[in-house]
Amino acid sequence: MGLSPVISASSSTSAPDTRGADLHAGYSGSSDSHRLDPSPLRVSLTDVQKTFDVGRGRTVQALVDIDLDIAEGEFVALIGPSGCGKSTVLRLLAGLDTTSSGEVELFGSPPEELSRQHRLGVAFQEHALLPWASVSSNISLPYKVAGRSVDKNRVAELIKLVGLTGFEKALPKQLSGGMRQRVAIARALVLNPSLLLLDEPFGALDAVTRRRMNSELARIWSEERLTTLLVTHDVDEALILADRVVVMSGRPGKIHHVEKVDLPRPRDTSVTRTPAFHELVDKLTGMLDGAGEDS
Amino acid sequence: MSAPTIPGTPAPHTATGGSRTHAGTTSGRVRSTLIWVGTNVLHLWPLALVVLVWDLWIVLNNYTALVAARPWDAFADILTHPGEYLYDTWFTMMMSVGGLLLGTVVGSLCAILVWWSAALSGIVTPAALIMRSVPISALIPIIARIFGYESDSTVFVCIVIICFFPSFVFVLSGLVSIPAAGRDLFTVLGAGKAQVLMRLGLLHSVPNLMISVRITAPIAVMAAILAEYLIGNHGLGEMFSYARSYQQWDRAWGTAVIATVLSVAIFLSARWCERKVTDRVT
Ligand SMILES: Nc1ncnc2c1ncn2[C@@H]1O[C@H](COP(=O)(O)OP(=O)(O)O)[C@@H](O)[C@H]1O
Ligand SMILES: [Mg+2]
Repeated sequence: MGLSPVISASSSTSAPDTRGADLHAGYSGSSDSHRLDPSPLRVSLTDVQKTFDVGRGRTVQALVDIDLDIAEGEFVALIGPSGCGKSTVLRLLAGLDTTSSGEVELFGSPPEELSRQHRLGVAFQEHALLPWASVSSNISLPYKVAGRSVDKNRVAELIKLVGLTGFEKALPKQLSGGMRQRVAIARALVLNPSLLLLDEPFGALDAVTRRRMNSELARIWSEERLTTLLVTHDVDEALILADRVVVMSGRPGKIHHVEKVDLPRPRDTSVTRTPAFHELVDKLTGMLDGAGEDS
Repeated sequence: MSAPTIPGTPAPHTATGGSRTHAGTTSGRVRSTLIWVGTNVLHLWPLALVVLVWDLWIVLNNYTALVAARPWDAFADILTHPGEYLYDTWFTMMMSVGGLLLGTVVGSLCAILVWWSAALSGIVTPAALIMRSVPISALIPIIARIFGYESDSTVFVCIVIICFFPSFVFVLSGLVSIPAAGRDLFTVLGAGKAQVLMRLGLLHSVPNLMISVRITAPIAVMAAILAEYLIGNHGLGEMFSYARSYQQWDRAWGTAVIATVLSVAIFLSARWCERKVTDRVT
């Protein structure tokens, strides 16, 4: 089940397979970089600016001065008002867009390297399922694209995990919006990615399913320790799942606040009902409102 | 798959995924089949109108049987001499369907080449446009020079040339309209261009391809008959030409009737395929 990525000659000293062995090995990295805390074993955005050209000489400043590190095995949640640039951050990390200035590195390599090695798992806001393919073929797609034989057990395990047992042969059009999103999440997880990027993956789910998916994701994460960035607009969700919550503010998008979440895991109802949890919810919700106003 | 057995009816939304909960009793199925057949027959009213106008045209002009055949004379010729029509109908049908399929394949391949590389696009696109804009009647002498006069290959090549352009245009527009979300997904999965084409682009273009097959199908029959009429040795077009030169008007009009029926039948089959296939891939 462990992923054995082929590291190309260009990808310096990284050793991604140590994932989960020693989470903080990365912090003691080599010293030949200009960065303060150099480590090939992390995901980093350094001094990133992103400007979109919207035609007729006009531009939109989407991101300014974004500095963000995600340690290997860390779970970071990104919250902020709509339009503040959360998806843009995620697309930069996924190598789908390039920065206007600044640097994005995934485990010591440029972002494209990770997708070339089939080590990136992404669930987009739009689920992007293949309409002609069944649930199980959609989830198997990453294997096929990577030219690997499909691990049927892994696919079945993920279908069970996201609660779609019995729907293996169903086509996307026969599923509800929430079920489609769960297929997309299973597809993002199937290759045990080194980096998992989730863009509001539970947006179309009802509150009950959402909480269930939250605890499932928390469980997967605690088992596999995937380096994860979750974009969400749900403060509770961010606090249930993340080691750190990054609050962004909009126009132009920048990092407003970073909250380290020290609540014990697993964060089931015994945690979410504590005053400490509610205090954090209130604090971050207040910031979101503030971030919305200062635009 | 759990595709509906009755074409034209909306797909049943089997939310149970796979297992059929479609309440399809045998009698219900027979009834809906009858309704479907009935509706489709009713949709053929333009054909009845054509027959009516045809007869009125003869009656009102006082044309005699030496000038033109009335509908019933043509029908009677078909019914009393079915053997005379069989081979040529079969021939024209095979030519049309074959030309349609090969034209569609050629058009799709051109579309793929254009999508694949800008350099190839610079070669293929002008060639396709020239093929399209020069009238087929002007091309026939050139094609006949290469493939021979009075040759079935010449007829076939003409049909292919007529048929390839719509699929070229439709498949190309399918390929360039691959949704951004799908492209992003394949980029993130580390897919190369060939993977994007094979696993995403082609299947995404299938509905467009099927539209082009549907609209090209009657044109293929028309092209076959025209080419047969002008240069062919066999087929309904040649049969019409032959009957006309001997002033066998019932036979000539009979071939026209058969040609119409053939064209409608091929169109309806193409439409049926389109619905089936499109329902499966969207
Ligand atoms: N491709 C693009 N072209 C132009 N502007 C864009 C593009 N993508 C995003 N933007 C702009 O960048 C800002 C941030 O967008 P986005 O990252 O999607 O926000 P969020 O995901 O937080 O809702 C918005 O103002 C949006 O209009
Ligand atoms: Mg977004």
